[in-house]
Amino acid sequence: MSSANAHGGRQDSSGSPGVIRLTVNGKRYEFKVGVDVMPFTALRELLRDRLGLTSLKEMCEGEGVCGSCTVLVDGRPTLSCLTLAVDCDGKEIETVEGLAESGHPLLEAFSRNYAYQCGYCTPGFIMSAKALLDRNPDPSYEDIVRGLSGNICRCGTYAAILSATREAADALKARRGGGGL
Amino acid sequence: MILMGRPLRRFELINAGTVDEAVRALSKYDGRAWPFAGGTDVLRVLRFRPLPEDLMPDALVNLKTISPSMSYIKEEDGVLRIGATTRLADISRDPLVRSGYQALAEAAEAVATPQIREMGTIAGNISQLPQCLYFRKPDDRFHCARKGGSVCYAQSGDYRYHSIFGAVNNCIMPNTSDIAPALVALGARIVTNKRTLEAEGFWDVRVPGNTVLDRDEIITEIQVTRPPPGARSKFLKFAVRKSIDFPLVNVAVVRGDGVARVALNAVAPKPYRAYAAEEVLLGGGSEEEAASAALDGAVPLQMNRWKISVARTLVKRALLMASGRGAEGGGP
Ligand code: FES
Ligand code: FES
Repeated sequence: MSSANAHGGRQDSSGSPGVIRLTVNGKRYEFKVGVDVMPFTALRELLRDRLGLTSLKEMCEGEGVCGSCTVLVDGRPTLSCLTLAVDCDGKEIETVEGLAESGHPLLEAFSRNYAYQCGYCTPGFIMSAKALLDRNPDPSYEDIVRGLSGNICRCGTYAAILSATREAADALKARRGGGGL
Repeated sequence: MILMGRPLRRFELINAGTVDEAVRALSKYDGRAWPFAGGTDVLRVLRFRPLPEDLMPDALVNLKTISPSMSYIKEEDGVLRIGATTRLADISRDPLVRSGYQALAEAAEAVATPQIREMGTIAGNISQLPQCLYFRKPDDRFHCARKGGSVCYAQSGDYRYHSIFGAVNNCIMPNTSDIAPALVALGARIVTNKRTLEAEGFWDVRVPGNTVLDRDEIITEIQVTRPPPGARSKFLKFAVRKSIDFPLVNVAVVRGDGVARVALNAVAPKPYRAYAAEEVLLGGGSEEEAASAALDGAVPLQMNRWKISVARTLVKRALLMASGRGAEGGGP
């Protein structure tokens, strides 16, 4: 169990500065607090700058209003601009790079539907859609609108994004064998 | 390192293991440490630095590391107990909250966006700092009354969305919590490490905060007594967009046999309980009359007069819905 310390990471038994361990897209990483990562490092900076996960975008300067930096933290859609990296100790993080590796149908559906113009908002939308489908495999149109309402597309490709998400839900259903859930 | 946009202002992070540890850290820093949980408000302040340097925090005290966890929802002896760091999304999805405390579930579901509801906590929502656009301007560009200045820039500037019940401590920014009116209408209690407060007595208008909490005081739990059998509650929100926006007016009501509670927010510097509307209802008056009484005493200015008719309509609609006579749907 963690004890109070000012390093922002878990103190190990030897009392040396904290270390944080996270799983990102299935791979485990360890970072030294104060060396690799600072208490004030946003999760987005750690993932982009340290791990090279450039799918994380920024359309709103990190104010929490655009959703383009969305990742999943323990399954929850989370704004990585307003999350501290050290606060993710012990957590599982998923980004679009992980979905690409596992061949998630959302990627195929987004490209088939041309669900982007400049593509800058796309990774964030896909992660919100992933969180939605994980929780609700058979979403109605309204459910999709609500589930994606934390993301903004400056190019206005919303209609295609909604269809792509529904199509991915159908593809996942077919994968499971088409039958009941 | 390639930094995108603005970096967060530097701070120390203290992972508290217990409530006591958190409180000790807060008192050690004497106002220079802030409690930290969801982070959606605190980190925005650390990134955009709207406050003068002497009001910015040097340390954050992490409440999510406290054990046992303060993230829980349970009901004991007819009292709903929600831990301070419970996420808004968990509250909005909880079957217990949805069945017995509908206005609270609806309020939690109305906050910001899916991501912010997954991150933000109930205690953070009711403790949020003023969202006034002058207050929030980066780098303390408007050193207003809520930051130790002498001027409220909204009063001579753009006050379209501001208080229609006047100023408190020279500030006309209304409280914009969606959870607050639900807690006031449901008669909730806010438990801290020091005391138990009635929801109504929880808010204040200070420099820069919105609560009566001391510097070394943290919320540990929210308690709500289950409304009597047959009573129903309802929350409604009016905002420019259906997602992300703060309320321009919101309302929560509880209605039942001998029960009438009406609370509004985003209309006054503190959440506003409409006693006059409650009296009308308890005296057998109609929803229409109650809604009109709810706005008695409003002192709008030219550019925010519109809020009166919006608020009146929301109160009436919420009361009709809570009594089973209003149709769901149909945006304001
Ligand atoms: S960068 Fe806009 S929400 Fe994170
Ligand atoms: S495709 Fe350009 S912002 Fe969405």
